[in-house]
Parts: sequence; structure tokens; C-alpha cells
Amino acid sequence: MGPKAIDAGRHPNIELLTYSEVEEVSGYVGNFVATIRKKARYVDHTLCNACEECVKVCPVSKPDEYQMGLSSRRAIYIPFPQAVPCSYILNMDDCLGNNPIACGKCADVCEKKAINYDDEDELVVREVGAVIVAIGLDVYDPTEMDEYGYTRHANVITSMEFERLICAGGPTAGHFVRPSDHERPKRIGFIQCVGSRNPKIGRPYCSNICCMNTIKDTLLLADHYPDTENFVFYQDIRAFGKSFEDMFQRSKETGTRYIRGLPGDVEEDPETGNLVVTVENTTQRGGNGRSGLERYELDMLVLSVGVIPPKDLAKISGMLTLSKTSDGFFMESHPKLKPVDAPTRGVFFAGFCESPKDIKDSVCQAGAASSRAGALLNAGQIQIEAITSRIDEIECKKCGLCAKICPYGAITWQKGEVATVIEAACAGCGSCGATCQFGAITMRHFTDDQLLAQVRAILARKPEDKVFVFACNWCSYAGGDMAGISRIKYSASNRVVRTMCSARVSEDMVLEAFRCGAPVVLVSGCHYADCHYINANRQTVVRVQRLWDKLEKAGVRPERLQLEWISAAEGQKFAKVMNQMEELRKTVTIKEIEHGREALKPKPKKAAKKKEAAATAG
Amino acid sequence: MATATTGNFRCMMCGHDYTDKVEKGEDRERSCPKCRSNSIRHMKKKAADK
Ligand SMILES: Cc1cc2nc3c(=O)[nH]c(=O)nc-3n(C[C@H](O)[C@H](O)[C@H](O)COP(=O)(O)OP(=O)(O)OC[C@H]3O[C@@H](n4cnc5c(N)ncnc54)[C@H](O)[C@@H]3O)c2cc1C
Ligand SMILES: [Zn+2]
Repeated sequence: MGPKAIDAGRHPNIELLTYSEVEEVSGYVGNFVATIRKKARYVDHTLCNACEECVKVCPVSKPDEYQMGLSSRRAIYIPFPQAVPCSYILNMDDCLGNNPIACGKCADVCEKKAINYDDEDELVVREVGAVIVAIGLDVYDPTEMDEYGYTRHANVITSMEFERLICAGGPTAGHFVRPSDHERPKRIGFIQCVGSRNPKIGRPYCSNICCMNTIKDTLLLADHYPDTENFVFYQDIRAFGKSFEDMFQRSKETGTRYIRGLPGDVEEDPETGNLVVTVENTTQRGGNGRSGLERYELDMLVLSVGVIPPKDLAKISGMLTLSKTSDGFFMESHPKLKPVDAPTRGVFFAGFCESPKDIKDSVCQAGAASSRAGALLNAGQIQIEAITSRIDEIECKKCGLCAKICPYGAITWQKGEVATVIEAACAGCGSCGATCQFGAITMRHFTDDQLLAQVRAILARKPEDKVFVFACNWCSYAGGDMAGISRIKYSASNRVVRTMCSARVSEDMVLEAFRCGAPVVLVSGCHYADCHYINANRQTVVRVQRLWDKLEKAGVRPERLQLEWISAAEGQKFAKVMNQMEELRKTVTIKEIEHGREALKPKPKKAAKKKEAAATAG
Repeated sequence: MATATTGNFRCMMCGHDYTDKVEKGEDRERSCPKCRSNSIRHMKKKAADK
């Protein structure tokens, strides 16, 4: 990685802002404005020649974060050996103080006069056309899984700490020793899935890289120290990448023992610092036919820790209106067809922050993301579908609700001002159109008038025989197509109105269907994880809940309104739901329909009522 | 850590009433434990008593 970073730093078209953080991003595709905080280094990197004199005199000693706290660093230090630029930074939280200067030794010895105690953070602004989010991962902290004794036993370490200990550039210069006595461990155990595939601790997903990382580590140990004995405790070994199965077999051939079962308990021998692991080996059957309990005495235990979403994910999500999947990583625009695009136009993902993956896959995705961004910028203009929303400046009551609910942040609004749509950022879901209480928002090609006209036309004749359905373009409507092309039989009573998103369906559209005599109404959309408009369909849920309350209040059976999530692949489900709706329809009486028509008539507004009263009085 | 309470739910398709945990700020697709329908009504106290 070091040489790559140096190349990037020297490239004429790349400006590398290291030791910096993005504070804010505004704008939209092609026109983003990023505010970046360049943190104070207190060392001028253009003068510093990394001579190390300052380090020699610094009296402060702190755990070195890069070495996982296994060695120490000074308050002035190079964050890691391959850092770009290769110059020191002075950590003011660790320094004895710069105001007033408490020590000043580093500045005294610096011949280049590179140290500046008055340095301050600097905010810089950059206009960019596209954004690639590549904020990586964080590693699971196994403290809460106390059964493994990570905080209690010195020789229980994590796989990250193992990486440092075996690395030639690590705290022990690659001499592999255990923490308690600095002796080389001979019997080493690895526990897999620590913090992965464990719903009990809220981490049900597979971290993807840990199995291969452990296999790699056992091969490294076999290569460097052929006399070590390795034991891997696992629930499954997942080795599905190119050459991975081969690596797994080689690891077994070196003598590494794979024991299927995760230890229930780890004890430490206080005299030797050795660890005793008890595990139920599920591949061995005892005489009673049950799995055998086995005990292993080990010199060192490595917890193969899972990975978790990076800590800045929520902050970046807020800046770029991104959302996450149930595992907490960023959600892509489409899992199969647009795997590196974010739902927000002009934003792309690379690497781990989108989902757990190894270096090879991260590099692939980074290449894809930069190509996508390059193609966008080179085109110079973008084409969007003519289904965006438009706000009528006169009708807008400046409430700002549309701006709050837009999943894309495509509506700008300030208190007391008319809301405006950034068309390049609008994806046309129609949530705003369905939410606006004042009829101020028009969705092009899916206008209220057009949709209401469809409702009325469908229910103009014999409404009592019809199952009325609102289906979203991407999933539930496509689910209906799937049922059709799969020749699945289902009742023929349904009549479907298509909207781009289920969130486009306003309360009034549903009520109008009942007013027109629909016995039953179904609102259907994408499953939560598949919503094509980030999370717009959550608004569908809120609206349907409100409608159930309204129907009940009006004396209309709330069950007459149904909600279903049907994916494009769920032809079977579409057919099943249509049959259920038909059964439900048969239970609705003409009397009920008539009651609904009347009870759901729009109430005249207060002002109109007053006017009417005044007119009659007059 | 999300704080969880319990809520009353009714399946609008099969009528099944049940309680389930509700987490603050949760983002989860609900379906009926009996019939798998997504027509899950979160019952407010009063409505649930009916
Ligand atoms: C213990 C362990 C062992 C592994 N072993 C292997 C292996 O043997 N082989 C393999 O292929 N893969 C391995 N991996 C996986 C590998 O680490 C990842 O595939 C790879 O690091 C992903 O690259 P990335 O660029 O997406 O993320 P990262 O490498 O995490 O890089 C993300 C960068 O973004 C920076 N960042 C984060 N937030 C911000 C912000 N707000 N502003 C600016 N910068 C920010 C971070 O500081 C970091 O430098 C291992 C992972 C772990 C945890
Ligand atoms: Zn049910």
C-alpha cells in the first residue's frame, strides 16, 4: 500500500489531503461542495525531513495505536511507517502543552525549524463532481464476550494484535512472542466468528475475511516456526474465493487441526499463563452418541474478531443522505445491477464500508467506483427520467415537510421560504407529492390528477367486484409480471395502478378508492431491504397506519385496507396475496361499501364551513 | 444500545393479535408470525383494548 499512496501523492491530478476529515458536503451530483478540516500537525511537513531528533528528546510515552498498544510512541511521531507525507505530527492531546509551552524540547532540536506550536486546524473547501466513500471498517471489540477472557488473560489476543506481532514492522520486529512472558508460543489456538454470525450480540452477519485470515496465519506460522501446533475452533470454514480451498487444504497438510465447535469457556493457569479451552467437538461422537467435550492446553489464543461498520458511517450517511442495510454497512443503489453506486446520484462506494470484503474485492470495487465516477464526470451532463417533482411556488405553504421527508435531500427549504427541488438529485419517488397537504407538489407523469383519474376509471363500473391494488414500479408490479410469466394462476378480480414507489400513494388516493366503492384496497411495495428510493417505503407504513386509524374512526372496517411487500421475484407471493384479497373482498357487503362511500367523503374545511354558514345566515 | 419496549400488534389479514418488542428508531420490516402478512397494525393502547 505504501508505494501506491506515494504515487497518489505525486499524481498531478490527485490532491491528497491526509490527516483531514470531511466536515460537510452540500450540493448535488456534479456540484458537490465539500468542507474539509485539515487537522493541525504542528510540524511543517514541507520542512520536516524525518530525522528523528525530535522523537529522541520527547519525554512523553503513549501506547502506539498502530501497533495495537503493544508498543509505545512519543507525543511527536509518524503515525505508521508508510505514512504519506513521511513527516512527524505532534499530538497536542499527548504533548505536555503548547500554551504556554511546557517542554519545547522537540522545537529546540529541530534544525529545520519545522515545529510550529501555533499551528491550527484549517478548513478548506473543494468543489467536486462526484464523491467516492471508502471509509473502511472497524474491528469488533471482544470485551463483551467475557467467556473468552480477552480482558482477563494476557495471552488471549485478537487477530489484529496477531497481525502486528507477526509483522516484521511490528512491535517485536516480527519475533513472535506472547505478551505474558515474551516467550515464543508453541501451541496456538484460533477461535473463529468472534463477533460474527452471532445474533445474540446483534452481529448476525459473516465478516467474510476471518476464515481466510486465520488460514493465512496458520500457514505463516507453519512457515516461520514449523514446530508450532495450531488449533482452529470454528463453526464453518468459508473458503470460497479463488485458490482459497487450496490454501485451506495446505493449512491442514501443515498439521493445523480444525475442530468444529466454539469454546464455551477459557481458563488461565495462573502459574504458566497457559490457557485451557473447553470445547464440544461436534464432529466427534462419544460412546453415548453425543458430541465429545474436549480440553486443550494452549500457550496463546487468538480471537478471530469480526468486523463492524466504521464509526464515521452515520456521520457520512447524514452528509450524503445515504442509508444502511440491516448489518449496518452502506446500502448500494441496487445489490446486483448498481453495486458501487449509492442511491444518491454522484456518490459511489469502494471497499469494506459497503460490505465485508477482502483486499482483492475492495480493489475491484474501487476500480469500478472510480470508473463510474469518471464516466459521470466525462459525460459533463446527466440524463434523468422526467418523473421529478415540481413545487408550485404559490400553493406552497412553506411548511418544509417535503424537505424533511425527501430520502435524497433533493428538496431545499428554509424557514419562511418556499421549498425548491434540485432536479438533478430528485429520483422521482413521489414521497413529497404524497406528503404535501396543500397540493403544491406535482410529480411529473404521476400527477395526483392522473392517478386519481385512474382510480375513478377503474372503479366506475361494478366496483364491488374488484380488488383495488396500488403497486410500486420496481417490486410489487414486477412481482405481478413474474406471476404472469411463471403462469401462476390467481384470481382475476384485481385492478392495478402503478406508482414509482409505494410512498407515492397518498392518503387521499386510498380514500378516493373507497369513496368510489372499492371493497378492498391493497398498497404494495418493495421489501425494506429492496426499497429503490433509499427508505421511502417507511413512509408508506406510517401512512397506512394512519389510514387504518382513520378508517376505524369513520366506522369502516380497517382490514379493508391491506399492506404487502412483494419483491420482483415473488410471483408466488403476488398470486397468494391476490387470492387472499379476493377472499377478503367476498366478505365486504354492499352496505359496508355504501357506508364507506359516505363516511369517507372529505369534510369541508373550517373556513369553507364558516363561509357557508355566513351565506345561509345572510 | 437501542432501548426496547413491547408493543401490541394486530395482523390485518388474519386478525392475529400479538406483542413484540419495539426498539427506538428501529427500521424493521414486520410480518405476522402466523400468516406472514405485512399488514401489521401497531395498536395504540385504546385500539388494542377493543
Ligand atoms: C484482522 C484482519 C485481517 C485481515 N486480513 C486480510 C488478508 O489477509 N487479506 C485480505 O485480502 N484482506 C484482509 N483483511 C481485510 C482488509 O483489511 C480489507 O479488505 C481492506 O482493508 C478494505 O479496504 P478499505 O479501503 O475498504 O478499508 P480500510 O483499509 O479500512 O481503509 C479505510 C480508510 O478510511 C479512513 N477513514 C475512515 N473514516 C474516515 C473519515 N471520516 N474521513 C477520512 N478517512 C476516513 C481510515 O482511516 C482508513 O485509512 C483483514 C481484515 C482484518 C480486520
Ligand atoms: Zn396474520
